[in-house]
Amino acid sequence: MTDVSTAKVTVSPEEFTFVKYDASEIATIVAELAAQLEISNRINVVVNETTPLAKVYEEIDGTSSDATITLHAESGALEDRKHPMSFSAKDARESLGRILLRAHDRMQPGFGEAPDDLDLTLAENAAWDTYCAGRLTRMGVAVNEQRWRYNHRNRFGFNDDVDTKFARLWAADDLAWSDIADGG
Amino acid sequence: MRQFFPVEDLARDERFVQTNMAERMKDGRTAIDMKESSAKSRGASKRLTPERHDASDAARGLMHGIMVGEIQALEGAGRTAHDFAAGDGSNDTVPFELKLDMARQAWDEARHVEISAKLSDWMGTELGEFAENTVLFEAACSDDPILRLAGVNRALEGLAIDVFTQMKEFGDIAGDPFLEFCEDWMLADEVTHVKMGSDWLRKVTANDPDRRAKALEFQQVVDKLFSFGGARGESAESSFSLARRFRELAGFTDDEVDVISEMDNEALEERKEAIRKYREKVGAEPVDA
Amino acid sequence: MRGRSGRGSGHVFTSVPEMANAATESETTSTARAPFAPWDRRDIPGSFSVEETARRVGNYKWTEMKLFEALGGWVATVPELDVKMRLGTHCYHHAWHADLWHQRLPELREMKPERLTVPANDAMERFIEAMTEPEAPELTIEKLVGVYRVLIPRFIAAYTYHRNNTSEITDAPTIRSINFILQDEYDDWRDGEMLLQSLITNPQHVQRAAAHQARLEAIMVDAGGITGADSIGTGFTTSTEGGA
Repeated sequence: MTDVSTAKVTVSPEEFTFVKYDASEIATIVAELAAQLEISNRINVVVNETTPLAKVYEEIDGTSSDATITLHAESGALEDRKHPMSFSAKDARESLGRILLRAHDRMQPGFGEAPDDLDLTLAENAAWDTYCAGRLTRMGVAVNEQRWRYNHRNRFGFNDDVDTKFARLWAADDLAWSDIADGG
Repeated sequence: MRQFFPVEDLARDERFVQTNMAERMKDGRTAIDMKESSAKSRGASKRLTPERHDASDAARGLMHGIMVGEIQALEGAGRTAHDFAAGDGSNDTVPFELKLDMARQAWDEARHVEISAKLSDWMGTELGEFAENTVLFEAACSDDPILRLAGVNRALEGLAIDVFTQMKEFGDIAGDPFLEFCEDWMLADEVTHVKMGSDWLRKVTANDPDRRAKALEFQQVVDKLFSFGGARGESAESSFSLARRFRELAGFTDDEVDVISEMDNEALEERKEAIRKYREKVGAEPVDA
Repeated sequence: MRGRSGRGSGHVFTSVPEMANAATESETTSTARAPFAPWDRRDIPGSFSVEETARRVGNYKWTEMKLFEALGGWVATVPELDVKMRLGTHCYHHAWHADLWHQRLPELREMKPERLTVPANDAMERFIEAMTEPEAPELTIEKLVGVYRVLIPRFIAAYTYHRNNTSEITDAPTIRSINFILQDEYDDWRDGEMLLQSLITNPQHVQRAAAHQARLEAIMVDAGGITGADSIGTGFTTSTEGGA
């Protein structure tokens, strides 16, 4: 099992101005998630603290353990929604866990065709989020399943067929990109 | 029971955390694109439509805001039914029929809380998941019942018309079988509430032009507050727009809606200016998407 | 016509002359029908005169107003979300009742409804003050006990007595309103009682509920009921205060 160490995790900015976040706390959370996923890559976390929105995406410059993973997060993704501008470890774990799982997926065979995060369609994004959120639940990360079901429905439709595909994606563990791209 | 009830004492269970406009405006972050040229990013418009990358979560957040807003509207209507004795409308009294209308509104708002709670469940939102801004109840705290009507039945319910229309359209485009249906039913009630407020404002101040002028001035102040720094507006930078058609049904004139639109623009520019100053102060530059 | 004597102010019939019916057996070829079908047993006599009915209706209106004001005012003071919503709904029910009575009063020759929109006596006023006194957020049990275990049962009793004793024919509009109102009272009483049963979960809660109920009941007994001494025809009160 990979050692839980923040040595390979950097967080930017190191000091936050707009929000009351702590870079070392973010680094610790990412390191713990990486350890659970047995990811030994260098990880850069870039937080855009000037916007309250919650967009997250990842970039990875290779498929081996030498590749550098960059996790981008708008500050809203790590925020305690009851106390604006305050940090939520729970939400950070969920948001960063999702995109770390994506980076992990990209290093697996079967994901070579997956577009870069910023080039994914809204539907592809939603499907991949469902696949990641389901696995996060099984990793012990607190996730609201109905939230992701609603997100999936918004992209694919409100009907039983879509719900069945959602359930399949949610419960799955070893999928390839072709299994995910059309919503399951 | 006290005659008037302060906003600080609003009773909530432990799930809810309250905030106010002053706290909200301390937030130096903004979703508004502060650069002259837009950076490459999906969904440059901030309008709440399914095309936004964060559409589902934005809708959830707005629905939670609607729910706590309805709770405060229920509380406000209940207080107005309680706080003023029945009389001829002078001094501290209100016509008996106005009290009845406030009781009716309390029932309507209770139903809206019920609907919003069910929709929150449908959308995967936990009650109390987001901070609750008490600015809506604050509009219902005046000692003068006429200012309450102006603040609540004109400004707040007008805002509700705008928000519900946006959510109704969102639900319709997304094909959500419940969202559009529910928002439309709530919209019908809000039109009634606005008309109630307009009619009573006119009747009670029929022989008191100063009081009417003060009420309309208060309404404009509240209208601008309820722009939430340009979150409502006719610009693409706003999350939801003015629902002109439904406001017309509710009795707003074109001139009145135009004034609100101008104030929304003002609020947006003021918010941008505040953000610029804050960023200069902290020496921060926005990170590219 | 059935003779009926009623207590309370108003006319008392001890014997009533027969009233002519429209049809007799000898007129079998006529299409004229009796004004009252065989199954229509409604009768004229009633316990209350127009003035007495108006007095009671004024008391009902005053009390329903106080109740809807209290329920509306309490919404902001209770932290329990389900209770909040129920209070808002019930606030409207009782406001509507007050409106029904407000409209009935001019029909009972009271052209200034506010004149009769008064408490039955000072004790009723004290009752409402005591009932509405709890305001703190931790006193939801007390607020609900006052309404659903004391006042609404008293409403049900007073309305039932009135409906059963007023003239079914001359006072039909009051009976109609009472029937609608009673349905609300039963429904609201049930809602409130269920909320209370869900909130009262330990011996301390039981004590609080019982103590507050006892305190309010004592004042209500002093008042005699919503319309005073003769609210339900028993004519009992401990109050020596005059009525409105």
